[in-house]
Amino acid sequence: MGMFDWIWHIKGDLALAPGVSSGEAFHRLDPLFRTTGTTWRAEGDTLAFEKKDPAAQDRLSVFDRGVIRVEQGATGLVLRYRLTSKALLACFLAPLLFLALAQANVLLGRFDQTPATEQAKDKPKAKIALNPIDKMLGAPEPDAAKAKDMDDGEDGKKHSPTPGYVFAGIFVALYAVGRVLEDRLVRSLFARRLAAA
Amino acid sequence: MNGVRVGNRIIGADAPVTIGWENIPRVEGGPFKRAFFTWFQPASLLALLAFWYYAPNSIATASTAIAIGIGFKALLLALEWVNPRYDSWRLTWKEAATDMFYVGIAYTLVRMVSDYIGSDAIIEAVQQSFHWEKLGWFTGLPLLVQALLISLIFDFGQYWMHRGMHNWYPLWLPHSVHHYITQLNINKGEVGNPVEIFLIGLGIGGFFDFLPRAVLLAGTFGLAVGIYQHINVRFNTPAWWRFMFNTTEHHSLHHSQDYEATRSNYAGTWIIIDRMFGTCIDGEAELLGMEGGRRMSIREQMTYTFTEGWKAAKQRLSQGPAAVPAE
Repeated sequence: MGMFDWIWHIKGDLALAPGVSSGEAFHRLDPLFRTTGTTWRAEGDTLAFEKKDPAAQDRLSVFDRGVIRVEQGATGLVLRYRLTSKALLACFLAPLLFLALAQANVLLGRFDQTPATEQAKDKPKAKIALNPIDKMLGAPEPDAAKAKDMDDGEDGKKHSPTPGYVFAGIFVALYAVGRVLEDRLVRSLFARRLAAA
Repeated sequence: MNGVRVGNRIIGADAPVTIGWENIPRVEGGPFKRAFFTWFQPASLLALLAFWYYAPNSIATASTAIAIGIGFKALLLALEWVNPRYDSWRLTWKEAATDMFYVGIAYTLVRMVSDYIGSDAIIEAVQQSFHWEKLGWFTGLPLLVQALLISLIFDFGQYWMHRGMHNWYPLWLPHSVHHYITQLNINKGEVGNPVEIFLIGLGIGGFFDFLPRAVLLAGTFGLAVGIYQHINVRFNTPAWWRFMFNTTEHHSLHHSQDYEATRSNYAGTWIIIDRMFGTCIDGEAELLGMEGGRRMSIREQMTYTFTEGWKAAKQRLSQGPAAVPAE
């Protein structure tokens, strides 16, 4: 699993300012954990937290749990964090779901061979005239050949796999943005809290 | 909390709400910003109506409507960034990704199911069984009248379906999870159990025949009016618009943590339908949601409808005619 951990884990470290102990560092981070649905425990040099249904505006809402440790680094104390995000994992896997839905549409399209468009072709098309008010205002005349129900979706096609492919692509992009953005945001959030005396 | 008397009801006894247009904050900033957020809504509605009215047939297609819809939503997301109604409703990455999941499900899974058992499929079957033709004379009406009819007929159905959801437990079960949203953003309209998204999409429009252009014009009311139900933007919405159309103010009240306030403003696009039936309340709210604003996970949104339904059914079945009260 180790090589795939990065998908839903965010790790990092921040050097603590001289004189800042583990207790002081956790004290400065403390407001971040005093939020709805968060349980946390600090013991010695380790702080562990868990979140259940965090509020939308919770600064750490993207993470379900995390461990923060203060360790001795080469030049002083270092705060190391390892945070777990099911949201990132779900977003990473979401393209598979939408690709599956796209394929389901392809399959349904093969089975469902009752072409509504052919039935429509059999019927003689009545000439549709624009209302005189619309003629006067200059609206284009309806195209009798193309006049059809809009109910059949885009260009009259049912069972189109396109939305599934589009959403798979959107989630690939969302994951890439989220993995980079949330990494940076949590780093700067911790850095700002630790710098606040 | 005392609340405010609106008709026979006390609104805001459970949670803070703002009642009355005179108490709603105005857009702050320079003259350009104030003018922009005053005229944006009517100007974009008029522009989109004019576009669909005059666009050549080769452009007036469903594909163009989808492209415009995506572009308009992207623009509104940018406006949420520039001029938020509440900072407490700011879009985060997690909120954006979560909302997008529901949008994706609506465009794929719900659409697949609707193809088979949606209202249009049922109406088509009924028409074929009884050899009914569509009510074709509508196509002779002026385009804008057709568009208004399509929009009003659909919204009238949506009003009663939505009101039914708030008054009948089996319909409340799928709708209840949508009320766990704690902030309004552009895509929040799709957040909920897929069963609800399917139900709210039911309509009787399939019985009538309209010109394709009229359908596109009607869609504009959804895109350029209905969309503002769920948006985190402060507008100086004109009084005539607020009288006729649903707004984010109305809908925030509908989503507030105050129980009585949630039993108002049921229409999707035409708030005038609520005015007709006495369920309209003018105002807004910031604190939204259920159970004190608990944010519901996607997993719970997907299962709650069924688990709660199962619990209720079991309870109903286990209660004999002569139930003995528990000691």
